[in-house]
Amino acid sequence: MIATQFDYLAPKTIDEAVALLSEHGDNAKVLAGGHSLIPAMKLRLAQPALVIDIGRIKDLSYINEDGTSISIGAMTTHYEIESSDLLKRICPLLPECAATIGDVQVRNKGTIGGSVAHADPAADWPAAILALGAEMNVVSSGWERAIKAEDFFVDMLTTALEPGEILREIRISLPQGRFGQSYMKVHQPASGFAIVGVAVSLTRNDDGTCMSASIGITGVASKAYRASGVENALVGQQLDEQTIASAASHATDGVDANSDLFASEDYRRHLAEVYTRRAIQTAAERAR
Amino acid sequence: MQAKREYVYQALTDAEVLKRCIPGCEKLEQTGENTFATTLKAGVGAIKGVFNGNVKLEDMQQPSHYRIVVDGKGQPGFVKGAGDFDLEEQDGATLIKFVGDVQVGGTLANVGQRMIQGAAKMMATQFFTSLEAEAQATEKEEPPPKHGFFRTALRWLSGILRRVFKKN
Repeated sequence: MIATQFDYLAPKTIDEAVALLSEHGDNAKVLAGGHSLIPAMKLRLAQPALVIDIGRIKDLSYINEDGTSISIGAMTTHYEIESSDLLKRICPLLPECAATIGDVQVRNKGTIGGSVAHADPAADWPAAILALGAEMNVVSSGWERAIKAEDFFVDMLTTALEPGEILREIRISLPQGRFGQSYMKVHQPASGFAIVGVAVSLTRNDDGTCMSASIGITGVASKAYRASGVENALVGQQLDEQTIASAASHATDGVDANSDLFASEDYRRHLAEVYTRRAIQTAAERAR
Repeated sequence: MQAKREYVYQALTDAEVLKRCIPGCEKLEQTGENTFATTLKAGVGAIKGVFNGNVKLEDMQQPSHYRIVVDGKGQPGFVKGAGDFDLEEQDGATLIKFVGDVQVGGTLANVGQRMIQGAAKMMATQFFTSLEAEAQATEKEEPPPKHGFFRTALRWLSGILRRVFKKN
Protein backbone atom coordinates (compact mmCIF):
# COMPACT_ATOMS: atom_id res chain seq x y z
CA MET A 1 0.00 0.00 0.00
CA ILE A 2 0.97 3.63 -0.33
CA ALA A 3 1.17 5.92 2.67
CA THR A 4 -1.30 8.75 3.12
CA GLN A 5 -0.04 12.18 2.19
CA PHE A 6 2.48 13.71 4.57
CA ASP A 7 4.97 16.57 4.73
CA TYR A 8 8.67 15.83 4.87
CA LEU A 9 11.41 17.89 6.48
CA ALA A 10 15.07 16.99 6.80
CA PRO A 11 16.73 19.30 9.33
CA LYS A 12 20.51 19.65 9.24
CA THR A 13 21.06 19.91 12.99
CA ILE A 14 19.59 18.26 16.06
CA ASP A 15 18.53 21.69 17.40
CA GLU A 16 16.44 22.29 14.28
CA ALA A 17 14.95 18.82 14.64
CA VAL A 18 13.83 19.28 18.25
CA ALA A 19 12.47 22.75 17.40
CA LEU A 20 10.38 21.25 14.59
CA LEU A 21 9.23 18.44 16.85
CA SER A 22 8.09 20.75 19.63
CA GLU A 23 6.37 23.00 17.08
CA HIS A 24 4.37 20.21 15.42
CA GLY A 25 3.85 18.00 18.47
CA ASP A 26 1.69 14.94 18.05
CA ASN A 27 1.30 15.37 14.29
CA ALA A 28 4.99 14.80 13.65
CA LYS A 29 7.05 11.61 13.78
CA VAL A 30 10.82 11.35 13.78
CA LEU A 31 12.25 9.19 11.02
CA ALA A 32 15.54 7.42 11.81
CA GLY A 33 16.34 4.34 9.70
CA GLY A 34 12.68 3.99 8.74
CA HIS A 35 12.40 0.24 9.22
CA SER A 36 9.49 0.43 11.62
CA LEU A 37 7.86 3.75 10.76
CA ILE A 38 7.80 3.39 6.96
CA PRO A 39 6.14 -0.07 6.93
CA ALA A 40 3.59 1.19 9.47
CA MET A 41 2.90 4.23 7.27
CA LYS A 42 2.56 2.11 4.14
CA LEU A 43 0.02 -0.07 5.91
CA ARG A 44 -1.61 3.17 7.09
CA LEU A 45 -1.33 2.06 10.66
CA ALA A 46 0.63 5.26 11.23
CA GLN A 47 -0.45 8.47 9.52
CA PRO A 48 1.77 11.30 10.71
CA ALA A 49 1.11 14.67 9.05
CA LEU A 50 4.83 15.46 9.16
CA VAL A 51 7.89 13.24 8.99
CA ILE A 52 11.07 14.74 10.42
CA ASP A 53 14.00 12.88 8.89
CA ILE A 54 17.01 13.03 11.22
CA GLY A 55 19.11 11.04 8.73
CA ARG A 56 20.72 14.20 7.31
CA ILE A 57 22.01 15.37 10.66
CA LYS A 58 25.75 14.95 10.85
CA ASP A 59 27.42 13.45 13.91
CA LEU A 60 24.61 11.20 15.05
CA SER A 61 26.34 8.07 13.83
CA TYR A 62 29.41 7.05 15.81
CA ILE A 63 30.86 4.50 18.22
CA ASN A 64 33.25 6.02 20.77
CA GLU A 65 35.11 4.75 23.81
CA ASP A 66 36.81 6.91 26.43
CA GLY A 67 38.26 4.34 28.82
CA THR A 68 35.25 4.20 31.15
CA SER A 69 32.26 4.20 28.84
CA ILE A 70 31.07 3.54 25.32
CA SER A 71 28.86 6.03 23.52
CA ILE A 72 26.87 5.15 20.44
CA GLY A 73 25.09 7.75 18.33
CA ALA A 74 21.38 7.16 17.82
CA MET A 75 21.70 6.97 14.03
CA THR A 76 24.35 4.24 14.12
CA THR A 77 23.06 1.36 12.02
CA HIS A 78 22.74 -2.22 13.22
CA TYR A 79 25.37 -3.18 10.64
CA GLU A 80 27.87 -0.60 11.90
CA ILE A 81 27.55 -2.10 15.37
CA GLU A 82 27.62 -5.69 14.08
CA SER A 83 30.87 -5.05 12.21
CA SER A 84 32.63 -2.85 14.77
CA ASP A 85 35.97 -4.38 15.75
CA LEU A 86 36.15 -2.03 18.73
CA LEU A 87 32.83 -3.31 20.11
CA LYS A 88 33.69 -6.94 19.41
CA ARG A 89 36.65 -6.42 21.72
CA ILE A 90 35.20 -4.29 24.51
CA CYS A 91 31.48 -5.11 24.52
CA PRO A 92 30.76 -8.14 22.30
CA LEU A 93 27.11 -8.34 23.36
CA LEU A 94 26.29 -5.40 21.09
CA PRO A 95 27.65 -6.87 17.81
CA GLU A 96 26.25 -10.27 18.74
CA CYS A 97 22.80 -8.79 19.26
CA ALA A 98 23.02 -6.65 16.11
CA ALA A 99 23.84 -9.69 13.98
CA THR A 100 20.50 -11.32 14.87
CA ILE A 101 18.30 -8.38 13.84
CA GLY A 102 16.01 -8.81 10.82
CA ASP A 103 17.87 -9.31 7.54
CA VAL A 104 20.75 -7.60 5.74
CA GLN A 105 18.61 -4.74 4.40
CA VAL A 106 17.17 -4.02 7.83
CA ARG A 107 20.62 -4.04 9.40
CA ASN A 108 22.03 -1.75 6.71
CA LYS A 109 19.38 0.93 7.17
CA GLY A 110 17.85 0.35 10.60
CA THR A 111 19.38 2.22 13.54
CA ILE A 112 19.88 1.44 17.21
CA GLY A 113 18.27 4.73 18.24
CA GLY A 114 15.23 4.18 16.04
CA SER A 115 14.70 0.70 17.41
CA VAL A 116 15.11 1.77 21.04
CA ALA A 117 12.82 4.80 20.67
CA HIS A 118 10.16 2.75 18.87
CA ALA A 119 10.24 0.17 21.70
CA ASP A 120 8.72 -2.71 19.81
CA PRO A 121 7.97 -5.38 22.45
CA ALA A 122 9.87 -7.96 20.37
CA ALA A 123 12.83 -5.82 19.29
CA ASP A 124 16.30 -7.15 20.15
CA TRP A 125 18.04 -3.97 21.35
CA PRO A 126 15.96 -3.36 24.48
CA ALA A 127 17.16 -6.69 25.95
CA ALA A 128 20.82 -5.78 25.38
CA ILE A 129 20.32 -2.19 26.54
CA LEU A 130 18.80 -3.46 29.80
CA ALA A 131 21.47 -6.11 30.37
CA LEU A 132 24.19 -3.51 29.86
CA GLY A 133 22.52 -0.97 32.15
CA ALA A 134 22.74 1.66 29.41
CA GLU A 135 21.70 5.28 29.69
CA MET A 136 19.74 7.07 27.00
CA ASN A 137 20.87 10.61 26.36
CA VAL A 138 17.87 12.62 25.28
CA VAL A 139 17.61 16.18 23.92
CA SER A 140 14.78 18.62 23.61
CA SER A 141 14.60 22.33 22.87
CA GLY A 142 16.06 23.78 26.02
CA TRP A 143 17.23 20.77 27.99
CA GLU A 144 18.87 17.41 27.82
CA ARG A 145 18.73 14.51 30.24
CA ALA A 146 19.81 10.93 30.73
CA ILE A 147 17.27 8.15 31.23
CA LYS A 148 18.27 4.80 32.71
CA ALA A 149 17.37 1.72 30.70
CA GLU A 150 15.03 0.41 33.41
CA ASP A 151 13.05 3.64 33.35
CA PHE A 152 13.14 4.06 29.59
CA PHE A 153 10.91 1.21 28.43
CA VAL A 154 7.48 2.02 29.83
CA ASP A 155 5.15 -0.27 27.92
CA MET A 156 4.51 -1.59 24.45
CA LEU A 157 5.72 1.01 21.90
CA THR A 158 5.89 3.47 24.77
CA THR A 159 9.05 4.98 26.23
CA ALA A 160 9.91 7.62 28.78
CA LEU A 161 10.60 10.04 25.91
CA GLU A 162 8.45 13.14 26.40
CA PRO A 163 6.80 14.82 23.41
CA GLY A 164 9.46 17.01 21.83
CA GLU A 165 12.38 14.85 22.92
CA ILE A 166 14.75 13.02 20.60
CA LEU A 167 17.09 10.21 21.60
CA ARG A 168 20.62 11.32 20.76
CA GLU A 169 23.02 8.84 22.25
CA ILE A 170 23.23 5.54 24.11
CA ARG A 171 25.90 5.35 26.80
CA ILE A 172 27.20 2.14 28.32
CA SER A 173 29.73 1.64 31.12
CA LEU A 174 32.70 -0.32 29.90
CA PRO A 175 32.51 -3.92 31.15
CA GLN A 176 35.37 -4.58 33.59
CA GLY A 177 37.20 -7.62 34.99
CA ARG A 178 36.30 -11.18 34.07
CA PHE A 179 33.14 -10.46 32.16
CA GLY A 180 31.09 -12.62 29.84
CA GLN A 181 28.14 -11.69 27.65
CA SER A 182 25.69 -13.47 25.43
CA TYR A 183 22.55 -12.87 23.40
CA MET A 184 20.30 -15.73 22.37
CA LYS A 185 16.97 -15.59 20.64
CA VAL A 186 14.24 -17.58 18.98
CA HIS A 187 13.21 -15.54 15.99
CA GLN A 188 9.91 -15.35 14.26
CA PRO A 189 10.69 -16.90 10.85
CA ALA A 190 8.98 -14.26 8.72
CA SER A 191 9.86 -11.03 10.49
CA GLY A 192 13.03 -11.99 12.34
CA PHE A 193 11.61 -10.38 15.48
CA ALA A 194 12.31 -12.13 18.78
CA ILE A 195 9.67 -14.52 20.04
CA VAL A 196 12.03 -14.70 22.98
CA GLY A 197 15.40 -12.92 23.23
CA VAL A 198 17.71 -13.08 26.24
CA ALA A 199 20.74 -10.85 26.80
CA VAL A 200 23.15 -11.70 29.62
CA SER A 201 26.05 -9.69 30.96
CA LEU A 202 27.87 -11.09 33.98
CA THR A 203 31.18 -10.86 35.83
CA ARG A 204 32.99 -13.51 37.87
CA ASN A 205 35.20 -13.29 40.94
CA ASP A 206 38.66 -14.85 40.97
CA ASP A 207 37.24 -18.00 42.57
CA GLY A 208 34.80 -18.35 39.68
CA THR A 209 31.68 -17.32 41.59
CA CYS A 210 29.31 -14.86 40.01
CA MET A 211 30.09 -11.25 41.05
CA SER A 212 27.30 -9.55 39.15
CA ALA A 213 24.68 -10.52 36.61
CA SER A 214 22.20 -8.52 34.62
CA ILE A 215 19.72 -10.09 32.29
CA GLY A 216 17.37 -8.44 29.83
CA ILE A 217 14.53 -10.37 28.22
CA THR A 218 12.55 -9.25 25.18
CA GLY A 219 9.64 -10.67 23.19
CA VAL A 220 7.95 -12.27 26.19
CA ALA A 221 5.94 -9.42 27.68
CA SER A 222 4.55 -6.09 26.48
CA LYS A 223 7.99 -4.60 27.06
CA ALA A 224 11.53 -5.85 27.59
CA TYR A 225 12.38 -6.33 31.27
CA ARG A 226 15.21 -7.10 33.69
CA ALA A 227 14.90 -10.65 35.05
CA SER A 228 15.89 -9.73 38.61
CA GLY A 229 14.76 -13.08 40.01
CA VAL A 230 17.33 -14.82 37.83
CA GLU A 231 20.02 -12.26 38.65
CA ASN A 232 19.55 -12.65 42.41
CA ALA A 233 19.77 -16.43 42.15
CA LEU A 234 23.15 -16.16 40.41
CA VAL A 235 25.08 -13.53 42.36
CA GLY A 236 27.55 -15.05 44.83
CA GLN A 237 27.04 -18.58 43.50
CA GLN A 238 29.30 -20.95 41.62
CA LEU A 239 28.08 -20.97 38.03
CA ASP A 240 27.51 -24.70 37.71
CA GLU A 241 24.85 -26.33 35.61
CA GLN A 242 22.42 -26.82 38.47
CA THR A 243 22.63 -23.25 39.79
CA ILE A 244 22.16 -21.85 36.31
CA ALA A 245 19.18 -24.10 35.59
CA SER A 246 17.43 -23.26 38.84
CA ALA A 247 18.14 -19.53 38.37
CA ALA A 248 16.75 -19.65 34.82
CA SER A 249 13.47 -21.04 36.15
CA HIS A 250 12.76 -17.48 37.43
CA ALA A 251 12.96 -16.01 33.91
CA THR A 252 9.30 -15.01 33.74
CA ASP A 253 8.57 -14.46 37.45
CA GLY A 254 5.93 -11.79 37.92
CA VAL A 255 5.64 -11.22 34.18
CA ASP A 256 2.43 -11.13 32.18
CA ALA A 257 3.54 -13.21 29.17
CA ASN A 258 2.21 -12.58 25.66
CA SER A 259 0.37 -15.11 23.60
CA ASP A 260 0.01 -15.00 19.83
CA LEU A 261 -0.28 -17.27 16.79
CA PHE A 262 3.36 -18.30 16.96
CA ALA A 263 3.77 -18.96 20.64
CA SER A 264 1.24 -19.49 23.39
CA GLU A 265 1.85 -18.01 26.82
CA ASP A 266 3.09 -21.34 28.25
CA TYR A 267 5.38 -21.98 25.31
CA ARG A 268 6.85 -18.49 25.60
CA ARG A 269 7.54 -18.99 29.30
CA HIS A 270 9.19 -22.31 28.50
CA LEU A 271 11.33 -20.75 25.76
CA ALA A 272 12.32 -17.90 28.06
CA GLU A 273 13.56 -20.35 30.67
CA VAL A 274 15.50 -22.51 28.20
CA TYR A 275 17.11 -19.57 26.41
CA THR A 276 17.93 -17.82 29.67
CA ARG A 277 19.72 -20.98 30.80
CA ARG A 278 21.67 -21.28 27.55
CA ALA A 279 22.58 -17.59 27.45
CA ILE A 280 23.87 -17.67 31.05
CA GLN A 281 25.88 -20.82 30.34
CA THR A 282 27.49 -19.24 27.29
CA ALA A 283 28.21 -15.96 29.09
CA ALA A 284 29.72 -17.86 32.04
CA GLU A 285 32.02 -19.83 29.73
CA ARG A 286 33.12 -16.62 28.04
CA ALA A 287 33.97 -15.10 31.43
CA ARG A 288 36.57 -17.72 32.21
CA MET B 1 -11.56 -0.42 42.30
CA GLN B 2 -11.86 1.88 45.30
CA ALA B 3 -15.47 2.93 44.80
CA LYS B 4 -18.97 1.75 45.75
CA ARG B 5 -20.55 -0.84 43.49
CA GLU B 6 -23.59 1.31 42.70
CA TYR B 7 -21.33 4.09 41.57
CA VAL B 8 -19.14 1.80 39.45
CA TYR B 9 -22.18 0.29 37.76
CA GLN B 10 -23.60 3.69 37.00
CA ALA B 11 -20.28 4.95 35.68
CA LEU B 12 -19.74 1.90 33.49
CA THR B 13 -23.11 2.45 31.84
CA ASP B 14 -22.99 6.26 31.63
CA ALA B 15 -22.08 7.56 28.19
CA GLU B 16 -20.51 10.75 29.53
CA VAL B 17 -18.28 8.97 32.03
CA LEU B 18 -17.29 6.31 29.51
CA LYS B 19 -16.45 8.92 26.95
CA ARG B 20 -14.06 10.58 29.38
CA CYS B 21 -12.45 7.31 30.47
CA ILE B 22 -12.08 5.28 27.27
CA PRO B 23 -8.65 6.09 25.87
CA GLY B 24 -8.96 7.94 22.56
CA CYS B 25 -12.77 8.14 22.62
CA GLU B 26 -13.82 11.10 20.51
CA LYS B 27 -17.54 10.47 20.28
CA LEU B 28 -20.00 8.36 22.24
CA GLU B 29 -23.63 9.15 21.54
CA GLN B 30 -26.71 7.41 22.76
CA THR B 31 -28.68 6.16 19.74
CA GLY B 32 -31.36 4.19 21.52
CA GLU B 33 -32.08 2.52 24.80
CA ASN B 34 -28.70 1.08 25.78
CA THR B 35 -27.18 1.51 22.33
CA PHE B 36 -24.42 3.94 21.49
CA ALA B 37 -22.49 5.08 18.43
CA THR B 38 -18.82 5.75 18.95
CA THR B 39 -15.71 7.10 17.29
CA LEU B 40 -12.47 5.90 18.76
CA LYS B 41 -8.98 7.11 17.98
CA ALA B 42 -7.14 4.14 19.39
CA GLY B 43 -3.52 3.20 19.31
CA VAL B 44 -0.15 2.95 20.99
CA GLY B 45 3.01 4.78 20.09
CA ALA B 46 3.29 5.43 16.38
CA ILE B 47 0.49 3.02 15.52
CA LYS B 48 -2.92 4.68 15.49
CA GLY B 49 -6.25 4.08 13.87
CA VAL B 50 -9.73 5.57 13.85
CA PHE B 51 -12.65 3.24 14.45
CA ASN B 52 -16.37 3.85 14.08
CA GLY B 53 -18.71 1.48 15.74
CA ASN B 54 -21.72 0.55 17.76
CA VAL B 55 -21.90 -0.45 21.39
CA LYS B 56 -24.86 -2.26 22.88
CA LEU B 57 -25.50 -3.05 26.53
CA GLU B 58 -27.59 -6.15 27.24
CA ASP B 59 -28.81 -8.32 30.10
CA MET B 60 -28.60 -5.42 32.53
CA GLN B 61 -28.98 -6.45 36.19
CA GLN B 62 -28.21 -3.40 38.24
CA PRO B 63 -25.86 -3.23 40.07
CA SER B 64 -24.09 -6.52 39.48
CA HIS B 65 -24.03 -7.53 35.83
CA TYR B 66 -24.32 -6.50 32.21
CA ARG B 67 -23.14 -7.66 28.83
CA ILE B 68 -21.45 -5.40 26.30
CA VAL B 69 -21.47 -6.03 22.55
CA VAL B 70 -19.11 -4.06 20.36
CA ASP B 71 -18.95 -3.90 16.59
CA GLY B 72 -16.49 -1.51 15.03
CA LYS B 73 -14.88 -0.82 11.70
CA GLY B 74 -11.96 1.39 10.89
CA GLN B 75 -9.27 2.11 8.40
CA PRO B 76 -6.85 -0.49 9.86
CA GLY B 77 -9.38 -3.30 10.26
CA PHE B 78 -12.46 -4.36 12.18
CA VAL B 79 -13.15 -5.22 15.79
CA LYS B 80 -16.04 -7.37 16.92
CA GLY B 81 -16.63 -8.66 20.37
CA ALA B 82 -18.73 -9.21 23.43
CA GLY B 83 -18.01 -9.45 27.09
CA ASP B 84 -19.60 -9.79 30.49
CA PHE B 85 -19.05 -7.36 33.33
CA ASP B 86 -19.62 -8.72 36.83
CA LEU B 87 -19.33 -6.39 39.79
CA GLU B 88 -18.79 -7.72 43.30
CA GLU B 89 -18.73 -5.78 46.54
CA GLN B 90 -15.66 -6.13 48.74
CA ASP B 91 -15.39 -4.01 51.90
CA GLY B 92 -16.66 -0.85 50.24
CA ALA B 93 -14.56 -1.42 47.15
CA THR B 94 -15.72 -3.07 43.94
CA LEU B 95 -14.20 -6.04 42.22
CA ILE B 96 -14.76 -5.85 38.48
CA LYS B 97 -14.64 -9.10 36.59
CA PHE B 98 -14.59 -8.89 32.84
CA VAL B 99 -14.61 -11.88 30.56
CA GLY B 100 -14.76 -11.15 26.87
CA ASP B 101 -14.05 -12.47 23.45
CA VAL B 102 -12.84 -10.11 20.76
CA GLN B 103 -12.23 -10.76 17.09
CA VAL B 104 -9.93 -8.49 15.14
CA GLY B 105 -9.57 -8.56 11.37
CA GLY B 106 -8.06 -6.69 8.44
CA THR B 107 -4.59 -5.14 8.16
CA LEU B 108 -4.45 -4.72 11.91
CA ALA B 109 -4.82 -8.45 12.47
CA ASN B 110 -2.49 -9.46 9.66
CA VAL B 111 0.48 -7.41 10.74
CA GLY B 112 -0.33 -6.46 14.30
CA GLN B 113 -1.40 -9.85 15.59
CA ARG B 114 1.51 -10.19 17.98
CA MET B 115 0.73 -6.83 19.56
CA ILE B 116 -3.05 -6.88 19.82
CA GLN B 117 -3.16 -8.58 23.20
CA GLY B 118 -0.64 -6.16 24.67
CA ALA B 119 -2.44 -3.14 23.24
CA ALA B 120 -5.76 -4.35 24.62
CA LYS B 121 -4.26 -4.81 28.09
CA MET B 122 -2.70 -1.38 27.96
CA MET B 123 -5.96 0.32 26.97
CA ALA B 124 -7.89 -1.58 29.63
CA THR B 125 -5.43 -0.43 32.29
CA GLN B 126 -5.73 3.19 31.14
CA PHE B 127 -9.51 2.92 31.15
CA PHE B 128 -9.79 1.55 34.68
CA THR B 129 -7.21 3.99 36.04
CA SER B 130 -9.15 6.98 34.79
CA LEU B 131 -12.45 5.46 35.89
CA GLU B 132 -11.07 5.10 39.40
CA ALA B 133 -9.81 8.68 39.39
CA GLU B 134 -13.26 9.80 38.28
CA ALA B 135 -14.92 7.75 41.02
CA GLN B 136 -12.70 9.22 43.69
CA ALA B 137 -13.26 12.76 42.44
CA THR B 138 -17.02 12.20 42.57
CA GLU B 139 -17.07 10.56 46.00
CA LYS B 140 -15.27 13.53 47.50
CA GLU B 141 -18.18 15.63 46.36
CA GLU B 142 -20.78 13.58 48.23
CA PRO B 143 -22.30 15.47 51.14
CA PRO B 144 -19.78 15.83 53.96
CA PRO B 145 -21.28 16.40 57.45
CA LYS B 146 -21.28 20.19 57.49
CA HIS B 147 -21.31 23.10 55.16
CA GLY B 148 -18.22 25.14 55.45
CA PHE B 149 -15.02 26.31 54.06
CA PHE B 150 -13.65 22.79 53.65
CA ARG B 151 -16.51 21.68 51.47
CA THR B 152 -16.31 24.73 49.26
CA ALA B 153 -12.62 24.14 48.84
CA LEU B 154 -13.21 20.52 47.90
CA ARG B 155 -15.88 21.47 45.40
CA TRP B 156 -13.58 23.97 43.84
CA LEU B 157 -10.74 21.48 43.67
CA SER B 158 -12.77 18.65 42.19
CA GLY B 159 -14.27 21.07 39.68
CA ILE B 160 -10.80 21.95 38.49
CA LEU B 161 -9.82 18.30 38.44
CA ARG B 162 -12.81 17.39 36.37
CA ARG B 163 -12.16 20.14 33.90
CA VAL B 164 -8.61 18.89 33.55
CA PHE B 165 -9.83 15.35 32.93
CA LYS B 166 -12.36 16.54 30.37
CA LYS B 167 -9.66 18.30 28.41
CA ASN B 168 -7.76 15.06 28.16
